[in-house]
Amino acid sequence: MTTAAQPTDVWEHELLLTGCQAVSHAVKLADVDVIAAYPIRPYTEVMDQLSQLIADGELDAEYIIADSEHSQFEIVKHASSVGARAFGGSSGTGWMYGMEALAVTATDRLPPLFLVGNRALDDPGAFGVEHNDAMSVRDLGWLICWASTAQEALEHVFIGYRVAEDKRVRMPMALAMDGGFLTHAQHMVKVPTLEAVKQFLPPYDLGDRVLHPDNPISVAPQVNEDWVMELRRQNWEAARRARGVIKEAYKEFNGVFGSHGSQYDNPYFTEYMTEDADAVLIGIGAVCMPTQTAARRLREKGHKVGYVNLRWFRPFPTEELRACLGRFKGVGVIDRDFSQGSPDNGGILLQDVRSCLYPLRGDGPNVINFMGGLGGRDISIDECIDMYERTLAAGRGNVPEEIVSWIGLRE
Amino acid sequence: MIKRVEVQYRGVFQKTLGKYIGGDIVQIASRMGKVAFSNGRYSDAPERNGIPCKYFAFVSPDLSEAELEAECGSSYNADNVDVSVVVDDAMAQGVEPWGWHGIRPVNEKVGHKACLLVVTRRNHEHLLRFTAKKPQPYRLATLEGDASMAGLWVFKDDLTRERCLGAVAAVDPGIISIEAVEEYLLDTGKDADRARAARDAYEATLRRIKVVNPDQGIDWPHEIPVLPKWHEFEEGGVAIPAVKRGFKLGPRGQNRNDGFKHGTSKTERPVVRFDLCIKCTLCWADCPDECFDPTDDGLYDINYEVCTGCHKCADVCPVKECIVMVPELQFEDEKSPWEQHKKDPAGYIQWAEDKKGSTRIRYRHVTGEGVEKYKATPVPRNMDGPGQKEAL
Repeated sequence: MTTAAQPTDVWEHELLLTGCQAVSHAVKLADVDVIAAYPIRPYTEVMDQLSQLIADGELDAEYIIADSEHSQFEIVKHASSVGARAFGGSSGTGWMYGMEALAVTATDRLPPLFLVGNRALDDPGAFGVEHNDAMSVRDLGWLICWASTAQEALEHVFIGYRVAEDKRVRMPMALAMDGGFLTHAQHMVKVPTLEAVKQFLPPYDLGDRVLHPDNPISVAPQVNEDWVMELRRQNWEAARRARGVIKEAYKEFNGVFGSHGSQYDNPYFTEYMTEDADAVLIGIGAVCMPTQTAARRLREKGHKVGYVNLRWFRPFPTEELRACLGRFKGVGVIDRDFSQGSPDNGGILLQDVRSCLYPLRGDGPNVINFMGGLGGRDISIDECIDMYERTLAAGRGNVPEEIVSWIGLRE
Repeated sequence: MIKRVEVQYRGVFQKTLGKYIGGDIVQIASRMGKVAFSNGRYSDAPERNGIPCKYFAFVSPDLSEAELEAECGSSYNADNVDVSVVVDDAMAQGVEPWGWHGIRPVNEKVGHKACLLVVTRRNHEHLLRFTAKKPQPYRLATLEGDASMAGLWVFKDDLTRERCLGAVAAVDPGIISIEAVEEYLLDTGKDADRARAARDAYEATLRRIKVVNPDQGIDWPHEIPVLPKWHEFEEGGVAIPAVKRGFKLGPRGQNRNDGFKHGTSKTERPVVRFDLCIKCTLCWADCPDECFDPTDDGLYDINYEVCTGCHKCADVCPVKECIVMVPELQFEDEKSPWEQHKKDPAGYIQWAEDKKGSTRIRYRHVTGEGVEKYKATPVPRNMDGPGQKEAL
C-alpha cells in the first residue's frame, strides 16, 4: 500500500485495493451495522476483507456467517427491518439460490445494499463474469447499478445506501461489479475521510416502519387481492421517483467529493467520445475499457464512434438514454448476459434499449446486438473495433437480417 | 341468463361439504343440458378452523361455457347470488373471512327476490334477529338440521349434502329441478335413501320460504371497512399499524387487532360458571386466540368478539360444568360475562344455566364421529369457591 495523493479533508489516503477491498472499505466508512456472509467467488473477497477489518478493530459491526445465501439474505433483510444498515452480497447461482429472500426484501421495501460480484450461472462450473445474476432481480423492485472501476465501486456504496434509504425510494440496492476484471484487480483507490462520508450519507432512519419492541408493527401480513395492486403501485412510484433521487444524490456527491475525486456529469451513464458520433456501442461494466480504447483508435483514423457506459440498469434511464442514443445513426448493444428465446434472440440489455428507443421509430438509430464476454471470455480491442465497424455499417443502413452476432466465439 | 349459487360454509369442517354441493349443482345442471361450473372463493382460507368461506356454482341455460366463465370465472367473488346456502346458521351473526373485510351480513350478496337458505333448527324470526336489513325484498328459507361439521379434511356423510340439493331445487327450480336431483342421486349414490332425503328436504323447504321485506332485520352494527387508495397509506405498506402493546386487568384489558376480530368463526361459544372456577389458569393459558382477559379478582373474562369457539377452554377446564360450549345463536351480544357475574352473581348463574340447558351437544370436529348428545348433571351454586367468594 502506498499513499500517493496528499490527504485532504475529503480524501484521507490512496490505497492499493481490489474492487472487493474497495467495497469493503466503503462498507466500513458507511458505518454498516450488520453484515451477513456466505462465500462464493468472486464475492468471497468482500467478506474476507470485512472480517479482517472487524478483527483489526477498524469496523464495529455484527458479522454473521449464514448457512446459505438464502439465510444470508434473510438476515440482511431482517437486520434492515430493525433499522440496522445492513450489507450482504453474493455471486452467480449463489445469488439465485437466495432469490426468495431477494424478492421479499424488495416487496418489504427495505434498503440494504448487496454487492453482486457478477459470475456466470453454473452449470457447468464457471466463475467468470456474466450479468444474468444481478439482472435477475430487474423486475422485482431493486435498484441495480454497475461500477466500472474500483473507485466507482467504493463511491457507489455511499451513493447506493443514500438512494436506497431515501424515504421516497426505500428499495434494496444491488451494486454489481464484473467478476475478476473489477473484483480481483488491484488499483490505486482514493479513500475518503469518515467526516466526508458522514456529510454525504445521513444515518439510516426507517421511521415508523422500524421493527422494534417499542414500535410494534406487523410486517408482510397476508393481504391477497385486496391490497396487492396498491402495494405494487407504491413500489412502481418509488422506482419512478428513484430517478430523481439518484440525480440529487450525484449532485450532492459531486459537491462533497468532487473537487478532488470523481465528477459525475450524468448519474446514469457516461458518454465517451460521443459528440458528433455516427455510431456508438453501449455496454455495462468493465467492457468499457477495451471499447473506449477502440473508440480512441478509430477516432484517430477519422471514424466517428463513441461509447456509452451504462451505470444504472434499474431504474432504467429511459428519457436520458433515449435522448442520447437518438442522436446516432447506429447503436450496437453489447450484452454480457443471455436471454435465450427472447425477441430476436437478443440479450437482456438489447431488449431494454430497443424498448427505450421505440417511440423514435424511423427517426431512431438502427440497433444491432453483440453477445460477448460470456463466462468471463475476454473482449479484445480488435473485437471492439470490429463491433464499431459493424455498427457504423448498420447506421448507414446495412442492418443484417440476424441482428445478433456473437463476439469471440470459436466458430 | 346466469344463476349464481353460493354456499357459505365453515373453514375445514365443512369444506368438503361446500365443495360437494357446488360440484353436485354443476353435474345436475349439466345433466339438464345447461352449462355450469363451480369454484371456491380462491382468496378464502378454508383450511382454518371455523373461518367463514364460500363455494360458488354458476349455471346458465343459454350461455356458452366461455361466456359463463368470462362473466363469473374472472373474479374471486360473486357480487350477486340467486341462492345463498348457509350450512351453519351461526353465520347469521355475520361473516368475517379475512382481515380488513369487516364483519359482513350473511345475506350481503343475496340479490333482489333471491333466496337465503339456512340449515337451522331455528325459525325465520329468530334468524332475522341477526341478519341485516336489505333495501330490497328477498326470500328466507330454512332447512331443518344441525351444522354438519366433519373432521379435518374429511366429509361427514349425514345427508346434509343431498338435503341441501333438494332445498336448492325448492327455492329456485331455475337452477336445478328436484327430478334432476333425484335422478342424479340415484345414478351416483346407488342408494334410494339419498334421493328420498333430497325429496323430503325439497317438500319441507317449499313450506318454509318467507319473503323478507326491507324493514325486516337489523341495522347492521358492524362497520364495513373502506380500503384506502394506493396513495392513502404509508409506503412500505407491507408494514401495517400494529396492535399497540397494552394490558390491564379486566374486560377487554388486552389490546387486540381490531382489523380482524375473527369471532365469526365460532358455531358455539364457551359459557363460564365463574362461581365454579378454581383459578387454575388453564383456559387462559391454552386459548389459542388469547381471548381470556385476567380480572382483578383472579378470574378470566372471555372476549367473545375474538373467541373462535374452538372448544379448547372447555376441553382443558378440569371443573365439571364450569366451561360449557353453547350454540352461538342463543346469544345476541358479546358483552363481558364477567361483568354480568359481578353485577348479579346469582342472576348470572341462572342466565348461564338457561343458556346451557340440560342437553349437551358436542360436535366431534377432529374425529368426525358425529354429534354426541348427553344430559348434563346440574352442579349446585358454589358459594365457597374462590371465584364466588371474591365476587361477593
